[in-house]
Amino acid sequence: MRAMPRSLSGRLLSVAIALIVIAMLAASVAIYFALHRFVQGQVDGRLDGQIFSVRDALRVAADGRLSLDPVANGPPFDRPRGGWYWKVVTALGALRSPSLGTKDFEFKEPPPGWQPGPERRPETADGIGSDGEPLRVRLQRFEIERQSVLIASAAPLHALWGPLREALWPVALTLVVLAFALIGGVVLQVQLGLRPLARLTEELHRVRTGKVERIKGPQPTEVMPLVAELNTLLDQNEANLERARRHVANLAHGLKTPLATLAIVTEETGSDPRLKPLVTMMDRRIRHHLSRARLAALGGPERTRTSLAQRAADHIEAFGKIYADKRLVFKNGVASDLAVACDAQDLDELLGNLLDNACKWAGKHVCVMASASGSRVRITIEDDGPGLSDQRAAEMMQPGHRIDESAHGYGFGLPITRELVELYGGTIMLARSDLGGLRVAFSLPAAL
Amino acid sequence: MKILLVEDDQLLAEATSRALRAENFVVDHAANGEDGQHLGETGTYDAAVLDLGLPKVSGIAVLRAWRAGQCKLPVLILTARDGWSEKVEGFKAGADDYLVKPFRMEEVVMRLRALIRRAAGHAAPLINCGPIAYDAQVGAFTLNGLPLKLTALEWRVLSCLMLRKDHIVPRRDLLERVYDGDAEVDSNSLEVIVARLRRKIGHDLIETARGLGYRLTTGSS
Repeated sequence: MRAMPRSLSGRLLSVAIALIVIAMLAASVAIYFALHRFVQGQVDGRLDGQIFSVRDALRVAADGRLSLDPVANGPPFDRPRGGWYWKVVTALGALRSPSLGTKDFEFKEPPPGWQPGPERRPETADGIGSDGEPLRVRLQRFEIERQSVLIASAAPLHALWGPLREALWPVALTLVVLAFALIGGVVLQVQLGLRPLARLTEELHRVRTGKVERIKGPQPTEVMPLVAELNTLLDQNEANLERARRHVANLAHGLKTPLATLAIVTEETGSDPRLKPLVTMMDRRIRHHLSRARLAALGGPERTRTSLAQRAADHIEAFGKIYADKRLVFKNGVASDLAVACDAQDLDELLGNLLDNACKWAGKHVCVMASASGSRVRITIEDDGPGLSDQRAAEMMQPGHRIDESAHGYGFGLPITRELVELYGGTIMLARSDLGGLRVAFSLPAAL
Repeated sequence: MKILLVEDDQLLAEATSRALRAENFVVDHAANGEDGQHLGETGTYDAAVLDLGLPKVSGIAVLRAWRAGQCKLPVLILTARDGWSEKVEGFKAGADDYLVKPFRMEEVVMRLRALIRRAAGHAAPLINCGPIAYDAQVGAFTLNGLPLKLTALEWRVLSCLMLRKDHIVPRRDLLERVYDGDAEVDSNSLEVIVARLRRKIGHDLIETARGLGYRLTTGSS
C-alpha cells in the first residue's frame, strides 16, 4: 500500500487535514487542563476560605472541648447533604458542619512527618462521603491553645466537573467549527495553488494541436523552470524535424545522381536488359519512401502563413513552360489576399501534383479557383480533359496506382496529395468539372 | 546543335555527354557553377542542361545570373529533389523545363529538341521546307517523304539551317555548332559538308550568302 495518495491535491489535503486534526486535539487537551486548573482553583479557594473561617470561629474551652463561636455557614455549606462539608478533628473529638447531618466523610490522612507551617496553604486529599460519593477535600492542621487541630473541608467532585463540562462544550464546538473552516481553506488553497498546473496542461495541449508555437504567458515562478525546459524541448524537436527533412533531401540528391548515371548506362547498347527495370524499381522505391518520410516528418507544431495567390501564380507560370507545346489557357481565380496556414513546401506539393495531372489531361483549359469559407480555404483545380469515371477516381486514390503507365510521373502524386490534405484536416474530392474534365476539390486551414 | 551541360557528377556527365553525342548533339561540359555560368555567357549554345545541385555556385544562382545578363538560352534543369518547390523555384529563376533524376536519356533528348525548336520560334514539331521535312521531336529528316540518311556533321548543319530556314545563318554560328569545343576546326570543311548536303538534297535549297553564311530556302525562288 502506498503511504501517500498519487494526486498532488490528495497529498496536500491529507497532510493538512492530519495536521489540523492534531493541532485541534492538542489545543483541546491544553484548554481542558487550563480550564480544569481554573475550576479546581475556584473550588479550592472556597474550601480554603471555609477552613479559615472555621478556624477563626473555633473556641477551645479550658477542658479542651471545642465550640464554635458563630460560624459562617454560608451557601453552599448550609445545604444538607449537598456534598459541601467541613469538620474539625482534635484528639478529644470532632465538630461537623450542619450539612453533614448525621453523616460523615472520610479522607486519607496526610502523610507522616507532615508539619503544618504558618505560611503553608491547605493540602489536598481524596475523600469519600458516607453515601460513597467522591469528594475533593482540603485540610490543614493548626496549633490552637496548644492543641493540634485538623480542619477539613470537602466539595463534591461534580462541583468540579459541572462547570468544567459547561465551559468545555462551547470550546469544543468552536474548535470543531474552526477545524472545518481550516480544512475548507486548505481545499481552496490547494485548488488555487494547483490551478497553474491545469493552465500549463491546457497551454501544452494548444502547442500540441498547433494553435501556438511555444508556451507563453505569465507563469508562477515555480513553474517557470518547467516551462523553460518544455520550450527548449520544443525547440530541439523542431531542430530535429528540420534536420530530418534536410537528411531526406540530401538522401534524395545522394542516391539519385548515381541512379541517373546507372539509368543512362543501362540504355546504352550491350548492357544487360534485366538492369533497366531494376533501375526503374529502385527509383520508384526511393521516391515512395522519400515521400513517406516527408509525410512522417510533418505535423509539427509550426504554423506558417503561405500566400496561396503567389504560389498559384508561380505554379501556373511553371506549368505554362512545362506544357508549352499544349499552349494551355490557365485561369487563376485565386484572390490576391488569400493565405493558408500550410507549409509552403506542402502547398507546392499539392498544387504541383494536381496541376501536373490537370495539365497532362487538359485539352486547352486549366482552372484554379480558391475561396475562403470560414476558417478554411476551398481550392478547386479543373481541366477540360476526358475526366474520370467514379470507379477510376476511386482506383486512382490507391497508393502507388498509376493513372497512365506511359505518361511521365509515377502516379504517387494523388495518394500523396490525399495524405497531405488529410494531414491538414481536409478531404480531397474528385468530381466532374463544368469544363468537362476532372475537378479536384480540397480545403486547407486559412491563415489567421 | 550545341548543348552546354553543367553537371558536377563526373560519371553522370560522361554518360549524358555520350548519350547526347550519339544523338548528334555537340556537347560542352562544365563541372561547376562558375565555369558553367561563364560558358553560358560567352559561348554559342542552342540549349543548356543545368543541374541544380552544384557545388560552390548553385544551379539556381547560375540560371539567375544568365537571365539577369539577358542570356535567353533555353535551359533544362536537372534536379534530384522530387518536390515541386524546387522545380517551381527553378522556373521562377528562368528555367524552361525540368527533369527529375534519374531520367531516361531519350527524355532528355526529346525535351532538348523541343526547347531548341520552340526557341527558334516553331510551335509545331514538324518543320517543312520545300521537299525537306524535319521532325524536331525525333530529330529525323525526310526528303520527299522518304527518310534522309545524314552523317552527324551533315545533320548538325542541316538541322541548324532548318530551324532558321529562310534566314541567313552566319558561318561562325554554324562552325561553333558543328564542332565540339576541343576539336580542331578547319574552316574549309564546312564547305565540304555543305557540298555533300547539296548533293543529297538538291543544289538550289542551300543558298550561299557570300561573306555571310548560308540560307535554307524552299528552292522555288
